[in-house]
Amino acid sequence: MNKKYVMLTIGIMCFLLTVGICIQVKTISNTNTTGISKNATENKLRDEVLRWKERYDNAYKQLGETENILEEERKKATEDNEETTQMKDELNKINKLLGLTDVKGEGIILIVDDNKDADSNILDQNAAVVHDGDLIEIVNILKNGGAEAISINDQRVVSTTAITCDGSVVRINGEKVGAPFEIKAIGSQERIKGVLEMPYNYIYWMGADGIDITIRKVNSIEIPKYEGIIKREYLKDR
Amino acid sequence: MGLLIAIVVGCVLGLIFGINAPIIPYTYSGYLAIAIVAALDSVFGGITSVLNKKFDMKIFVSGFFGNAILSILLTYLGEKLNVDIYLAAIVVFVGRMFTNLSIIRRYYIDKWSQKKQEKEDENKQKTV
Repeated sequence: MNKKYVMLTIGIMCFLLTVGICIQVKTISNTNTTGISKNATENKLRDEVLRWKERYDNAYKQLGETENILEEERKKATEDNEETTQMKDELNKINKLLGLTDVKGEGIILIVDDNKDADSNILDQNAAVVHDGDLIEIVNILKNGGAEAISINDQRVVSTTAITCDGSVVRINGEKVGAPFEIKAIGSQERIKGVLEMPYNYIYWMGADGIDITIRKVNSIEIPKYEGIIKREYLKDR
Repeated sequence: MGLLIAIVVGCVLGLIFGINAPIIPYTYSGYLAIAIVAALDSVFGGITSVLNKKFDMKIFVSGFFGNAILSILLTYLGEKLNVDIYLAAIVVFVGRMFTNLSIIRRYYIDKWSQKKQEKEDENKQKTV
């Protein structure tokens, strides 16, 4: 029999096989499965989580694309009409104010982390951990300093944002975030830094408890848009 | 010898290609895994049949793709029925892989020992 063809076929099959294995290995190593669990239910749950996350990511990407199309349509529709152009500008401005657009500008980045070297014998263990209340205070201080956009671990703080406790983590906009918290604020660097370093303010006492706080001036900060929907079911015009 | 070269070249090319290939969604990685096992089984089967001089191209190619597709379908069905059918597929494929591997191993060991025997015979003849 023609031996060449046999070799060729087996070579091609080996090729396909290796490609498949490579793709599989890459896929598995790309999905961060932290640690190997021996528990079957845990594995199954993690599998489920990964799948849902993927679905969410896909849906979110689709949403972004659709929004772009909408934006383009809007642009097209308002191209030659001055009045509608004005309305569109207004809409963009309002979206920016509401926190529904990605923004960037100069400002401050704060990194707040739990007190990692805390002695296990300290009186108040709670003081070594960053709580939801601490974040609320910090956000308040930042707003006092005239911050125009704030995000915590890329969760945009908007008018409807709630910061709540959820066991070992904090929920912001309904999403779980954990320490270390990277708090970005766009605004006047001097003013924000001023209020952050005000003597004996909340941040001072957090630092006194051993909470790890670093304040950094950054000339170009990017803050993502709010990813949820601002509902207005009960709002009515007066 | 040609067989070995074909396998090595195929694997190296596949490696180069695979490293640059895009990743697939996690949802489908389970199916790809079972298809890989099926394909691995087919390749080992193919090598065995080449060694036994019973190689048939049609059987080999149809087995390669057919087994992979069938195992993917079975895995899908198992997921819908909430039974881990893919386990059965893995048991069958891996079991066959071991059988084929042992045949390949025996073939080469036989060849090797034959060569050794021949050499010894030659040496004996020389001394005589």
